[in-house]
Amino acid sequence: MDSLYKIIGIALITVVATLILKPVRPDFAVFISVVGGVIILFMLAGYLTDIFEVFNQIFNYTNVNSSLYKIIFKIIGVGYLVEFTASLCSDTGNNSLGDKVLLGGKIIILVMALPIVTSILEIVMELLPS
Amino acid sequence: MEVEIIFKIAAIGILTAVVSQILKNSGKEDISTLATLAGVVIVLIMVINLIADLFDTIRTIFNF
Repeated sequence: MDSLYKIIGIALITVVATLILKPVRPDFAVFISVVGGVIILFMLAGYLTDIFEVFNQIFNYTNVNSSLYKIIFKIIGVGYLVEFTASLCSDTGNNSLGDKVLLGGKIIILVMALPIVTSILEIVMELLPS
Repeated sequence: MEVEIIFKIAAIGILTAVVSQILKNSGKEDISTLATLAGVVIVLIMVINLIADLFDTIRTIFNF
């Protein structure tokens, strides 16, 4: 709860600084909004580590192959990075570039998820009577 | 600890705006352009460092 107020404060400071600087230097206003976003994400990084530790413990109780859930973590990471970059692109007016980044993220996630699909297929083939 | 960087960037922006305005009014247009460019580069370096830190943190969290 404490860091929620911090995040709101940082966002408001960033907005005010952007509004002040936009008529004087529009390029610096973009930099300030980027930095505000990065700082907020930094504050959330600590919570993410806590969440993933708990997820790791839960996954350790199940006897699933550990390489499978590592893929899920990686996919979530790719999602966050791609989202951040795409919103950065559309903030600075490059909407089409942001769409391309999103497309790239989707394709990379698909490529990363292929081992899961193949392992499901292997399980199905084992179940089928030969 | 990191909110200061927002104020820093805002201060650099206002400062370069003032400097380039003064230089332009005193007839040194080329130096004014250079001052603007220097300000942009300084801020760009700060921003890029911050983004690199963020990407490193994300890489360690999601163990890429």
